[in-house]
Amino acid sequence: MNRTGSLYVTGNSLFHRLDGAVKLVLFMAWTVMTYMFLDLRVFVLMLVVGIALLVTAGIPFKKMAFLFWLMIIFTVLNGIFILLITPTFGTRLTGTDTPLIQLGYNTINAETLFYVLTLSAKYLTLLPITILCIFTTQPSAFAGSLNRIGVPYKIAYAVSIALRYIPDLTEEFRSTLNSMQARGMGITKEDGSIAQRLRNLAAVVVPVLQSALHRIDSVTNAMELRGFGTQKKRTWYSGKEMEGLDWTLAVLGVLLLAVGIWLKVQVLKGFWYPF
Amino acid sequence: MMQPIISFQQYSFKYKNQSEPTLKDITLDIYPGEKIWIAGPSGSGKSTLAHCINGLIPFTYGGDIRGRLSIAGRNPAELSIFELSRTVGTILQDQDSQFVGLSVAEDVAFVMENKAMPREQMKRETSASLERVGMLDYIDHSPYELSGGQKQSVSLAGVLSTDAEVLLFDEPLANLDPAGGRKAMQLIDDIHRQGGKTVIIIEHRVEDVLQQPIDRIVLMKDGGIEAVGTPDEILASGLLRGCGLRPPLYVDALRYAGVSLDGVQGLSRPQPLGIPGLGERLDGWSEQAAAGAPSQPAEPLLDVRGLTFGYEPGQPVLKDVSLLVGAGEIVALLGNNGAGKSTLSQLITGILKPQSGSMRYAGQDMASWSIRRRGEAIGYVMQNPNRMITQHMIADEVGLGLKVRGVPAAEIKERVAGVLQTCGLYPFRNWPVSALSYGQKKRLSIAAILVLAPKLMILDEPTAGQDYRHYQEFMDFIEQLAGQGIAFLLITHDMYLALEYARRAVVLSGGEVLAADTVASVLSRPEVTEPAHLKETSLSLFAKANDLASPERFVQAFINAEKKGKKGHE
Repeated sequence: MNRTGSLYVTGNSLFHRLDGAVKLVLFMAWTVMTYMFLDLRVFVLMLVVGIALLVTAGIPFKKMAFLFWLMIIFTVLNGIFILLITPTFGTRLTGTDTPLIQLGYNTINAETLFYVLTLSAKYLTLLPITILCIFTTQPSAFAGSLNRIGVPYKIAYAVSIALRYIPDLTEEFRSTLNSMQARGMGITKEDGSIAQRLRNLAAVVVPVLQSALHRIDSVTNAMELRGFGTQKKRTWYSGKEMEGLDWTLAVLGVLLLAVGIWLKVQVLKGFWYPF
Repeated sequence: MMQPIISFQQYSFKYKNQSEPTLKDITLDIYPGEKIWIAGPSGSGKSTLAHCINGLIPFTYGGDIRGRLSIAGRNPAELSIFELSRTVGTILQDQDSQFVGLSVAEDVAFVMENKAMPREQMKRETSASLERVGMLDYIDHSPYELSGGQKQSVSLAGVLSTDAEVLLFDEPLANLDPAGGRKAMQLIDDIHRQGGKTVIIIEHRVEDVLQQPIDRIVLMKDGGIEAVGTPDEILASGLLRGCGLRPPLYVDALRYAGVSLDGVQGLSRPQPLGIPGLGERLDGWSEQAAAGAPSQPAEPLLDVRGLTFGYEPGQPVLKDVSLLVGAGEIVALLGNNGAGKSTLSQLITGILKPQSGSMRYAGQDMASWSIRRRGEAIGYVMQNPNRMITQHMIADEVGLGLKVRGVPAAEIKERVAGVLQTCGLYPFRNWPVSALSYGQKKRLSIAAILVLAPKLMILDEPTAGQDYRHYQEFMDFIEQLAGQGIAFLLITHDMYLALEYARRAVVLSGGEVLAADTVASVLSRPEVTEPAHLKETSLSLFAKANDLASPERFVQAFINAEKKGKKGHE
């Protein structure tokens, strides 16, 4: 994370140029699609599209490595636990039982293995689109586009102001913690039991919170003196007008969602198990 | 006759929740194009006066108003805070709170955004405003990439874009280092000249404000106006000290040397005064006053040698830093932001680990000491006491460090009482922390460390945000502790602080020690002060302007005279 507290990486890909609000619409459509189905074919298709988009965005892997591995590890652990705890869960979905791996207390069957594979693919489809939205959206431009799709500007601006001051707060928190540590009230092993360390951590919150409240007071004054909140409408320096591309993709997103719902209701109703 | 742009007539103001009025019977006319400096200690009402001018009173802070105030011919109470901001643009003291945008451009555009200006026009005007303050090159920078002074310039650009006739600066120098302060005053003066704006500066730092010409000084005290006059009139009157302000050091030096200031012109800046025989007289005085027994080198308490540290390999933040603090000594660690002062203190307290170099405390190697153990030997006190205080009651706060170390309750009580007595807080021992003033809280944060019985304390910007009187009270207290054998390392960019209270100064710049010598010598050398964003002291500038034989001796003479003066008061 850079010091501005945002993860934005500059670039000029399709996703970079896309309006923040449109990205939000696409992200929501994508998420709904993912949660609707339990069908590996759909997920493989979505994964391919998602990864293709991610590659064209040209975000350096180093930047997204943390998020990437976090999701992978989560998915793998999740899969392992399902296999170990409910090794025959797949039977409930398919009605068949094909024993595969002996566990001693039970047997993992092929149905469950395929279920875990499908579920992992389901989670992973969310990965490329999440990374895309986070890394290609300029936070201040995002506030502007939220405002445009009908979110009141005072609420939309809160996004921007939070991003502005979160790094200040974390810095304050860190330095307060450091000074407390010297007094013997830190959160490292030598500062006592877990309970004591938690108490110490809680104690640091008091001064930081107090200074945050004080900060809010002066920021409010600064904003008021510069006319925030006096007019019905507000314009935004960052961002741009919605273009043909934005409208096209927004409509496309909604259309795809409609197709998805139709598919779910009419064709791919349940868990897909080819064997 | 010209109409005043701001006019107070028998104006009084009382905050809603206070029993006494904060402003009492103010009558003051400010004319278009004037440059006014409103000076006074904290609590004198100068910030309240500023709130009245920019509309925070009555729109944000309510209360009782008596008398009349008109701004550009209208009563502010009948306008809105936003309408008023078209006439009065305010630049606040805290540059971080003022800077609400995620980038320079967005911050400048903030007012225009709120006026719902079309984007194209907004972009043009933003660039134009940034050009006027010389910050166009930084248009896409985030606030974290800017110094305090640069943030302030951005704020100024934002206000300029509104075309406000009056620019109100609320303590513009408060968070800037000396070089930043000089630039800020220069920029304010440029805008004043070029734009024909009315400029009102609220400040308590006398010498720094007077670096640029001022039309009139309004001296405030206890909510009323004490005096109004030109800088020469006010400086010669000797009223500053009575109003809790620090006169320029050379003006004090002239007084110590017994030079009469009646009717003397040109006192506002260190320049040749044209008083016949002044040079010889001052030389004679400094020769006599600078003499004194050279101080005995104290036994070394903290001995830092060859410290090198960097967050990334090949990019050292500190390079081969050595530093010596003797027992009971006060040493100033001077340097600009980013020079490595806080990194050094984090190395000493053990929060960071050095890549090479050694640290010894009273002869013992500290390398293996834990943060906690170091904390018992070397106390670290943050700038803002509110950020260190976690308990509700005063005695609990002081005893906390002992409690977590498992000290028996009876002993805690005894030690806390002793420390509170030392710090002059004993009468308040059963009070809640919230009942204390800022200065008392500052003492409390010292007491909470002192109770662990350290031999050395690191104070980070100990006097920031305090006016001269509180500053003096606090530092006299520190000096008294030093007299009891506790050594102090003052991390600061305040040169007066170093000059008046420290015996030696270590100057850090770009992670290296530039100089380590007596304060008088360090601050008389431009080759040291300039790279470290410090300023050569006005004493030394004055001595050079008036052709004195040795500027350094003149500075030393002043320091000695100050010390003697202080003892005289006690």
